[in-house]
Amino acid sequence: MTQLQARGVVRAYGPTPALRGVTLDVTEGEIVAVTGPSGCGKSTLLHCLAGILRPDAGEVSWRGHRIDHLSEAARSRLRRTEFGVLFQFGQLVAELTAAENVALPLLLAGTGRREARTAALTWLERFGVAELADLRPGEMSGGQQQRCATARALVTEPRVLFADEPTGALDTLTGEQVLTQLVRLAREQRTAVVLVTHEPRIAAYADREIVLRDGLVDHTGLGLDVPLAGGSR
Amino acid sequence: MSTPHVLLGLLAAGSRHGYELKRAHDERLPRARPLAFGQVYATLGRLERDGLVAAAGQDRAAGPDRTAYALTGEGRATLDQWLSTVEPPMPYVASTLFTKVVVALLVADVDRARTYLIAQRAAHTARLRELTTVKADPAATLSDVVAADFAIAHLDADLRWLHATLDRVADWHREVHP
Amino acid sequence: MRPATLVRLALAGTRTDTARVVLTALSALLATLAGLAALTVLAIPKPAGNAWVESEQYRNELLREPGLRGGTAFALLLLTIPVLALAGQCARLGAPTRDRRLAGLRLAGATPGQVTRLAVLETGLASLLGTFVGLGVYLAGRELLHRRDGQGRLALPTDVLPSVGAMAAVVLGLPVIAALATAVMLRTVTTSPLGVSRKAARERGPRPWAGVLIALGLTCFAAIRPVLYQLDDEQVARWLVPLMFVAGGLAAMIGVVIGTGWISYTCGRLLRRYARRPPALLAAGRLMADPWAGSRTFAALLAALIFGGGAAALRAYFVAQDALEREQNQLDGVDRGADPFYLSTMDLVDVAVGVAVLIAAGGLIVALVEGIVSRRRAYSALVATGVPRGALSRSIAWQALTPAVPAILLALGVGTLLGRGLFPRAATGAGSVAVCDATAALCDDPATRDQYVRFVETAGAERVPDVPLEQLAWLGAGALAAVLVTVGVGLLFLRVSTAVDELRTA
Repeated sequence: MTQLQARGVVRAYGPTPALRGVTLDVTEGEIVAVTGPSGCGKSTLLHCLAGILRPDAGEVSWRGHRIDHLSEAARSRLRRTEFGVLFQFGQLVAELTAAENVALPLLLAGTGRREARTAALTWLERFGVAELADLRPGEMSGGQQQRCATARALVTEPRVLFADEPTGALDTLTGEQVLTQLVRLAREQRTAVVLVTHEPRIAAYADREIVLRDGLVDHTGLGLDVPLAGGSR
Repeated sequence: MSTPHVLLGLLAAGSRHGYELKRAHDERLPRARPLAFGQVYATLGRLERDGLVAAAGQDRAAGPDRTAYALTGEGRATLDQWLSTVEPPMPYVASTLFTKVVVALLVADVDRARTYLIAQRAAHTARLRELTTVKADPAATLSDVVAADFAIAHLDADLRWLHATLDRVADWHREVHP
Repeated sequence: MRPATLVRLALAGTRTDTARVVLTALSALLATLAGLAALTVLAIPKPAGNAWVESEQYRNELLREPGLRGGTAFALLLLTIPVLALAGQCARLGAPTRDRRLAGLRLAGATPGQVTRLAVLETGLASLLGTFVGLGVYLAGRELLHRRDGQGRLALPTDVLPSVGAMAAVVLGLPVIAALATAVMLRTVTTSPLGVSRKAARERGPRPWAGVLIALGLTCFAAIRPVLYQLDDEQVARWLVPLMFVAGGLAAMIGVVIGTGWISYTCGRLLRRYARRPPALLAAGRLMADPWAGSRTFAALLAALIFGGGAAALRAYFVAQDALEREQNQLDGVDRGADPFYLSTMDLVDVAVGVAVLIAAGGLIVALVEGIVSRRRAYSALVATGVPRGALSRSIAWQALTPAVPAILLALGVGTLLGRGLFPRAATGAGSVAVCDATAALCDDPATRDQYVRFVETAGAERVPDVPLEQLAWLGAGALAAVLVTVGVGLLFLRVSTAVDELRTA
């Protein structure tokens, strides 16, 4: 069942067009890789899908409802309940501990402090970093920070996780460990993942791959829009 | 071809018959093409002529194939030299993948080459996903992971080359057909 | 490095850097004006005669009486304190970006000396520009305000000029001081090409040592009067009393500023323990992570409030003295209060305190906006993950107001106690006063005066001045309003700073 839908999405930064009419469907629980060379509009597409950016033209719908028309507050609410967002680095609040960072989305949603901390600890445990709960980001390695950030993105059990080069700042081995855990947990709770990357070996974690080129989806057969036997479950 | 050096290496441990040498070779290099008996004797003959090995005691009663060979001082020096020589890294660019694109450009047009590249990319990507799934399986052993990693690294390199070549194939065609 | 390269690199900045240069120049201008005004007052020649001969050419007693001119100049110099605090805060504007840029130059192979020279050049030139413009404004203002009233008296000492050496010291000395301060602040950047990258170890929170400093300052002030009365040796008193005054004032002021760090940390700890909602939690984290931010931000405001508190206590003393003397005189059948000069001087002091609070509020805005702008990537990442801007606004408000309220109370309290220590009670001595019960003409004529004069014996009396609650409340409310306005202005910048484009420029 299609949950997230983009129709002819256009977005420009000043005179520079980033997206020139992208159409894309994301169904429940699937993992979609968005790849393409630098500057092809990958990140902009992710921002538009997640309701961070408003498209200049075209539609973005979530479960049949337009979200590009919603107010900033309503889209914020959507992002912290139905969606999870994960960046390359630097999204943890430097002054809060790992547990507080992970608990933050729950606290924003009105969960009590004790309950939110318990949930945060569970998620840190799932990513194997429970012992970091009371450390601040400055006291952790890059891989540990990214595990905490991933835990924070998944703690609300979102329906879609938007990940923009989530392993971009990590070495190959650490990146693969983080991504393997992310994909496993997303599949367990049937969270769809939109994974922006430029690396073939990262895109290989997805069920299917969309290739963007100059702000458009490449239909020359490059994007393997058909789920392959090995990738999907 | 390094068969002479492999035989010299096998003889470094002590003198052996031709038959024993063939068996030791196949055991140590299981994935290599098996050596034929004829090739073993031909190689040993050349090595003896060049003075690198010498017949060390013959069991005439048992026939010519029961001749044992041993490493000479010159043979040991040759082996040492071979082992300490660095191999030139990829001196020739040779791969069916690469050659096929070149031939496609020679005999057909850009589209033919592009079609092949896209199909090859799809196959590579499918294999990459397959191996990634093997690797990401919680039940995977370290042997599986290390073996999958070796293949994944090479597929990843091929895919990068395929991507780059797809972007260059039109210019390349112009160069081939000025 | 050739001078041209040096200038090119010094100018390679963003709009924030331009703003910093302009503000640095502006604060140098203000400091120059205050310094030159003080020097001018000191330059008024003492007319021939004894110590009480006044300079008749001025309207204002502060300028006429030689004994008061030192105090006037001192008050003008004190005005440079909030101005210098403002300069310090302006120097921090965009500093993290600049520090990164300079660290980048270090990575590209610049030596620590070259990088320091760059930053010093920027600050030095900007301040020099400011002091020169300040000198121009001073000289122009001197011409424009040089007007005599009907009696040929001047409103301001526009007829004297400080010595050239003194003026040069101000105009050239301020930029040198500013450049030196920049060099000191850049130590971390110049020692490591990576600049300020990663703070690993958690610092322990500030200890309440500030309390010792405050107590020291209060003791010094309270001891001035007994020392003055009980010390027979006038030579010792001559240097000991000013020393106690300056040392006590400085100790109390530094104590309050440092104490704000402790207050911030403690507020952060309490908030962290009891906060239920994310805004308070975010504010708590930030207060604990950098408790000195509050000290830096509020330093000028707190200094102004200490003066304000002291002035309020002083006014209360003069009011009490006035009332006491009025009562005494009424008992004696005379309707006369204390010298009204002191109360009118207090009005001037209050104006100065108000100006200082305003300047401090300017510095507060600069510091708060700088704090928001330098954290824009973190903020926009939070907004992207669904944190509402309202929650961020509330966290900034929590962060500013939680330590501000106790710090303001502390500053006002310390200021009042300092004033109280100096003037604990109003008193009139016992003695006799000659009272003339006739018209002024009859009294002034030495021939008839003696017939109407009678001598009244007065008894001594003492009175403890009231705590000037009302004035303190006004000061506190004013300071709080300044902080609130500042937070409001800062929040205007939040929207710009959380635009998603900030995610693209990491």
